[in-house]
Amino acid sequence: MNKKIIFKWLVFLAMFLPCVIFAQSVSGIVTDKTSSLPIPGASVLVKGTATGVSTDFNGNYSIEVKTFPTVLVFSYLGYESKEVSVDAASTSLNVKMSQSATALDEVIISGFASSVKRSNAANSVASLSSEDLAGVTPPQTLDGALAGKFTGALVTSNSGSPGGGMSVKLRGVTSINGNSQPLYIIDGIYIDNSSIASGGLNAVSGASGGGSSSSQDNATNRIADINPDDIANIEILKGASASSIYGSRGAAGVIIITTKKGKSGETKLNFSQSIGFNEVINLQGQRNWTEALAESEFGEGALYRAAEDAGTLRDYEREVFGEKGFITNTTVSMSGGSDKTTFYGGLTRNQEDGIVKRTGYDKTSLRINLDHRFSDDVKLSLVSNYINSSADRGFFNNDNTGTTIGVALTATRPWDNLMPDANGNYPDHPNNSSNPLQTRDLMTNNETTKRFITGGTLDINLFRGDNSDLKFVAKAGADHYTLSSTVIFPKELQFMRPDQGGVNGVSAVSTATNTNANYSAFLVHNYRSDNDIDFSTQAGITNEQFSQQVVRVVASDLIASETNVDQAANQAVSQFRLEQEDFGFYVQESFNYQDKLIATLGIRGDKSTNNGDINKFFYYPKASIAANLHSFNFWGEDKLLNRFKPRLAYGEAGTFAAFGSLFTVYGNTSIDGNVGIVVPGIRGNAAISPERQSELEFGFDAGFLNDRVSLEVTYYKKQVEDLLLNATIEPSSGFSQEFLNAGTLENRGLEIGVNIVAVDTEDFQWNSSISYFKNQSEITQLNVPTFNLGGFGNSLGQFQIEEGKSVTQIVGTTGPGTPVSVLGDAEPDFQMNFSSKMVYKDFTLSFLWHWKKGGDNINLTKLLSDFGGTSADFDGFNVDPEGLIRNGDYRITKGLFSGNATPFVEDASYLRLREIGLYYSLPQENLDKWFKGNVSNVKVGLSGNNLINIFDYNSYDPEVSNFGGNGLSTGVEVTPFPSSKRYMFHLSAQF
Amino acid sequence: MKITNKLYMFVFAMGLLLITSCELEGGESLNGASTSSIANDLSRGELPQALSGVLSDMRSRLNTQIDVQSIFGREYYFFTSSDPRFEGDVVTGVLDNNTFYTTSPWSSRYGAIKDINLALEGLANTTADFSTEEVSSIRGVLNTLKAHELLSVSNNQYTNGIRLDVSDSDNLGAFVTYEEALTAINDLLVSAAGDLSAGGASLPFNLSAGYTGFDTPAGFLQFNKGINARVEAYRGNYSNVRTLLGASFMSLSGDMDTGVYHTFSLSGADQANPLFIALNQEANVRVAHASYIADALANDARVDKVVLRDTPREASGLVGTHDVWLYQSNVDAIPMMRNEELILLFAEANMTSNPANAKSAIDAVRTAAGLGAYGGALTPAALEDEILFQRRYSLFGEGHRWIDMRRFSRISELPNDRAGDNVPDAVPVPANENQ
Repeated sequence: MNKKIIFKWLVFLAMFLPCVIFAQSVSGIVTDKTSSLPIPGASVLVKGTATGVSTDFNGNYSIEVKTFPTVLVFSYLGYESKEVSVDAASTSLNVKMSQSATALDEVIISGFASSVKRSNAANSVASLSSEDLAGVTPPQTLDGALAGKFTGALVTSNSGSPGGGMSVKLRGVTSINGNSQPLYIIDGIYIDNSSIASGGLNAVSGASGGGSSSSQDNATNRIADINPDDIANIEILKGASASSIYGSRGAAGVIIITTKKGKSGETKLNFSQSIGFNEVINLQGQRNWTEALAESEFGEGALYRAAEDAGTLRDYEREVFGEKGFITNTTVSMSGGSDKTTFYGGLTRNQEDGIVKRTGYDKTSLRINLDHRFSDDVKLSLVSNYINSSADRGFFNNDNTGTTIGVALTATRPWDNLMPDANGNYPDHPNNSSNPLQTRDLMTNNETTKRFITGGTLDINLFRGDNSDLKFVAKAGADHYTLSSTVIFPKELQFMRPDQGGVNGVSAVSTATNTNANYSAFLVHNYRSDNDIDFSTQAGITNEQFSQQVVRVVASDLIASETNVDQAANQAVSQFRLEQEDFGFYVQESFNYQDKLIATLGIRGDKSTNNGDINKFFYYPKASIAANLHSFNFWGEDKLLNRFKPRLAYGEAGTFAAFGSLFTVYGNTSIDGNVGIVVPGIRGNAAISPERQSELEFGFDAGFLNDRVSLEVTYYKKQVEDLLLNATIEPSSGFSQEFLNAGTLENRGLEIGVNIVAVDTEDFQWNSSISYFKNQSEITQLNVPTFNLGGFGNSLGQFQIEEGKSVTQIVGTTGPGTPVSVLGDAEPDFQMNFSSKMVYKDFTLSFLWHWKKGGDNINLTKLLSDFGGTSADFDGFNVDPEGLIRNGDYRITKGLFSGNATPFVEDASYLRLREIGLYYSLPQENLDKWFKGNVSNVKVGLSGNNLINIFDYNSYDPEVSNFGGNGLSTGVEVTPFPSSKRYMFHLSAQF
Repeated sequence: MKITNKLYMFVFAMGLLLITSCELEGGESLNGASTSSIANDLSRGELPQALSGVLSDMRSRLNTQIDVQSIFGREYYFFTSSDPRFEGDVVTGVLDNNTFYTTSPWSSRYGAIKDINLALEGLANTTADFSTEEVSSIRGVLNTLKAHELLSVSNNQYTNGIRLDVSDSDNLGAFVTYEEALTAINDLLVSAAGDLSAGGASLPFNLSAGYTGFDTPAGFLQFNKGINARVEAYRGNYSNVRTLLGASFMSLSGDMDTGVYHTFSLSGADQANPLFIALNQEANVRVAHASYIADALANDARVDKVVLRDTPREASGLVGTHDVWLYQSNVDAIPMMRNEELILLFAEANMTSNPANAKSAIDAVRTAAGLGAYGGALTPAALEDEILFQRRYSLFGEGHRWIDMRRFSRISELPNDRAGDNVPDAVPVPANENQ
C-alpha cells in the first residue's frame, strides 16, 4: 500500500510541479489596532481549509495559498476575528486587529480536549472571567467569589468563620446523601474538595450526643485553598446535559477553571496590594435591661445596680463580635516568554483577621505555569501550585455542654463580670458552664493545609491534511495536601476544671493526607466534508485515583500547659482510610454545518471501586443540537433580532456511592481496658449501585440591536433515579440508617439572563446584566417510608423526604398532638442578580446586587437566647399573633413547650450588595512622564463586599448552615459565627 | 484516505486493548471488621471483643434513658442550656415520637441487642474449639444481658409494646404487648439460667470490673436470678419471686451496694460516666425534686444523695435547691442491680403472704439508712405504701420510681409543679419503626 501512495505522490508532483513551483505565498505583519504593537501567536487560516500558520514573535506571518482569490481568516484570543479577501500573492498583507469586549466568551471548553465557540454551544454554560471573579473586590475564598455571578446556583456560606466553608448547589439539590457539590477541575487536574472535621471539637461540645448524630464542627472545604488571583477563566457546566462526559463525578455539575498563562513578548510584572478591614454585618443587640427587669427575670436587680454604679455593664455580644479584622492581600505576578516558551509565575499573600479575636485566615500561594512549544506540532504545558494556608476558626455552632462561644453568649447578661483580672485570670461565668471571653482567648481551633497541585498537558498534532487533522492529547495531574488540625482547650478553662466536672484539658491533633491523581489520553479528529460539514470526533480514556488517610488523636487530662498528645493521661485514637479508583472512557462526535447547525452525540462509560461490582461499566449518553438561525440565508439583514439560537441538550451522569457504603463495619470501643466491637449506626449495602441523573435542557440565545441587548433563556428538567439514600430503618434492627437506592428526585427550573450594553461611547460605557432564575424540586418516587434528616425533631422543625413533596421541605408539628405538617421550604422562590459596570474616562464603577426571595431557615439561635433570657427582642410583642405574650415567652411556651415549630421556621430572603468597586486608572501619559515608561496600568480603587444587606431574618445572617455544605440541610442555624462585610483599598501597577 | 483508515484501526485497537485490560482492583473495607465476620463464625479470639462490645454498648445513652425515667418519676429535673426540651416536652408529657428522648434510648438498647444477636448467630455457626460447657456459658451470659436490654426497652414503652425478634434486620418481628414481652423475657431468662447452670466453672472471656463476684457461670447465674425476680415482680408472680430471690445474691445482712454495675473510665475509647455533673453548676444541672427532701424521714442517710446548692437553680418555672450527687466523679459506676433492690423485692413478694418476712426486709433497709425499725401496720396496703416509700429513697435516680408508681397504678400521685405538666404512662414508639 505504501509504494502505491509514494508513486501517486511522484506522479502528482511531476504533473503539477510547474504549478507547485509557482504556488503563491502571502505574508505580512499582524498588529493591534489601538497600540500598533505586533501580535505574536495569532492564527492565520485559509478559510475553508485546515491550512494555517501562526504569527511569530514580531507579528510576521507567511502562508502558502494554492488558489486565488481566497479568504484569509486572522484570529487571536481577545480580539475580533478578521477576514481578508486576497486576490493575488503579496508580501505586505498587513492586518490590524481590534480587541473584542466579549472575546473571552467566544471560546468555551467542550469535551476534555477541545473547545467550541460560544456561539455554537448547545448548552447554557456560564463563564466568568478573571475580571468577573475578582476584579471588583477580592474574595476571601474561591467559592465565595461565585455567589450571585451566574444563574442556576445557590451558593451558601455555612458561617462567617474565616477560611471558607461553602456549599455550591447547581440547579437544585442533586443528591440527598450522595455528593451534591460540583466537581472542580483546574487545568485538567481533578481537585479535591473534601470537608474534614477536626477531632476534639465534638469531644468538648458534645454536639453529636444530642438530637443529631452529625458532628456539626463547622469544617472548611478544600476548594478554599485555590487562589482566585491565579484564575483566568471559569466555566460552569450546571447539569448532566453539559457535564455528561465527566461521568460519575460530574452529576452535580462541573466547574472548569483555567489559570493564567504566560504571553510571549516582553516580561511583564504585575503588582497589586489591597488593604482593608472587615466588620460584623448584623449584631443582634441586647434587651433593654433595667434594674427592675434584671430583678424580675433573674432576681439579680441588686447585681445590675452594682454593675451600673461601677460602670461595668457591658455589651458582651459587641465585645466578642465587634472586632474590626485587618485584611491585607498582596499579589505579585510575572508573565512573559519567547514565541516557543511562555511562563506565568505568581505569588499571593492573603492575611485576614476575623471579627472575633484570635480568628483569622492566612494563605500563601505560589504558582508557576509553563508552556513550551517544541515544534508547530508538539506543545507541552505544565502547571504547578503550592499553597500554605492556616485558618483559626473559633468555637461556634451547636453543642450540648454550654461551651461554644455562641451558646455561652445566649446565657450572658450585661452585668455579668467576665473580664480577666490583672494577672490574666478569668472569673467563672455566674450563669453558664463557660466564660465566652475565656474560651475565646485560650482555646485554639486551627486548620493548616499544605497543598501541592501539579499537572501537565501534552498536545501532539499527529496528522494535518487538507480536510482533516488528528490530534493526540495526554493529561496528567496530581493534587496532594496535608491538613493538620490542632484543637486545644487548656485546663484553665472553666469547663475543663475537674471541680466543674471537666476533663482537665483537651488537646487534639488530626492529620489528614490526601492524594488524588488523574491521567487521561484522548484523540481528537477533525474532518471537513465536501458539503461543508465539519465532523469532530473525540475518544479518550481517563483514570482517577484517590487516597486519603485521617488520623485523629484526642488527648485529655493534660500535663501542666503541655499540648503534645502524649503529655496527657488519656488518648482516644481513630484512623480512617479511603482508597478509590475510577476508570472511564468516552466517545463524542460533533457535527457542524457552516456554524449554522451544530449537533453533538456522545457516550461515557465509567466504573469505580466504590460500587458493588467494581468492574461493571455504567454508561451515560448525551446528545445536543443548536441552530444559529441568524446565519441562515432566510434570516435577512438589519433586523431588530440579529441573533437567535435555539438549543436543546440532553445528558446523563451518575453519582457513585460513597466509599464504605458496601460494608457494615463494627465500631470500636473499650470497657475496663478491654477492647470491644459494636455495631455502627449505618448498615452497609453490598448491592448499592450509583444514582443516574438525566437532564434535558432547552432554551435560546438571542441578540437584539446588533447584540447591544443579549438574552439567554433556559428551561431544564433534571431527574435523578436510584437515589442514594441513608434511609432511616427501624432502629430495633440495631441500626438507625442504611445505604439504599430508593427513589427518584426531580428538579425543574428556569434561567433567564439579559445583558445590556446601554451606552458605548468614547468617554462613557455602561454594561449591565440582569438575571432571574428559579428551581423547584420534588421527590417523584420514594421506595422507603418517609424519613427525616437535618434537624432536631418535629417540635423544632426538620427536613423530611417524602414522596410527592419538595426535597427541601421543612416540616414540624404545630401544637400538642397535631400531625406533622409542612411549615416551609428551604428552596428560594427565585433569585435575581443585577450587575453593572460603568466606565467614565478613567473611572470604573462596578457593582453586583443579589436578591434571594423566599427559602426558609430553621432558626434556633433565638430560642437558645430566649432560654437564656437574653434575646434582644424578648420583650416585644410581634411574634404572638394575638400580641399578648412577649416574644421570648411566646417562643418558649407557645412554641417549643407546645410542640409548635412555626416560630422557628423563618423566611430567609435577602437583598445584598455583594460587591461594589470604584477604580481610577492613572492616565498613561502621566505615568510615562513620571516613570519613563517603566510603569503602566496603575489603578487605585475602593471596594466593598456585602456592604448593604437587607433582610427580615431574625438573626445574624440568613445565609448559614449548622450542618455544613453537603447534603441538603443548609439553612439550619444554631448560634453561628456571624458573617461580615469588608471594606478594601487597592493599588495595582504593571512594570 | 487509506492512511486515515489505518490510523483509525490502530487507534481503535489500542483503545479496545486499554479498555478491556484496565481492570480495577480494590474496593475492600479498610476501616474495621465487618459484622459478617462475627456472625458467620465466631472465633475464640473474637469472642472477648464481641462480649466487651456488648458490655460497653449497654452503657450507650444511659444518661438520656435514666434522665427521662427520673423526670417522669419526679425524682429530679435536668436543666441544660443546650436543650430546653428536658424542661419542656419531658416534663409536660407532650412527647414527640421523633425526638431524641424517644428515639435515643430505644435505638441504643436495640444496638446492644444487635451486638448480642450477632454474637449468638456467630456462636451458632462457630467452627472454633469451644467445649459444650463454654458454649452454654456464653449463651447464658448473652441471653441474660439480652433479656436485661429488652426489659429496659419494655419499661419505657409499656403498653405501646416492643419488638422481640430482631435478629434478622430485614425481617423484624412484630410488636408484642407488654404482657407478652414480659413473658418472653422471663422465658429467655429461664433458658439462660439453664445454660449457665450447665456452663462449667469459668467463663471463656473477661467481664468488666462491674461484674466482680459474678464473673463465673455460677456467679452470673445469681445475677440472672436477680433480674428474673424483678421481671416476675412486675408480672405479679410473687411466689416465683421468692424462689428466684433465694437463688440470687440477695442477702438481708449483706452490703446494700453489692451487685452488678456499669463501669467507666477516661482512657482511650472508653466512656466517662454520663450522669456525673459537678456541684453548683449553672448551665447543666440535675436538681432533686423538692418533695424528695420534704417527704424524707428525719436522719435518713439516703437524703445525702442530694446536696444543697449554693443558690437555687430555676428554669422555666421549675426550681431546684439540691444537686443530685449520686455520682461524685466521672468514673463512678452506675448500678444495674443491687442487693438493696433485691431485699425490697423480697419485701414486696412477702407483703401479702408473709408480712413478718416483709418487715424484716424493710427493717434491713431502714437500718442501713440510719432509721429505726418499721412501726406501721402489717396489712398489705400499709406495707405497699412503706415498700414504695423505701424504694423511692433506696433506688433514687436509678430509674425505678416511675415504673414502680405505674405498676401500682399511682401515677396520679406524682407531683406536677406547673399547670400543664403531666406524667405520661409510656414513651411513644419511635416514628421510624413504621409500626
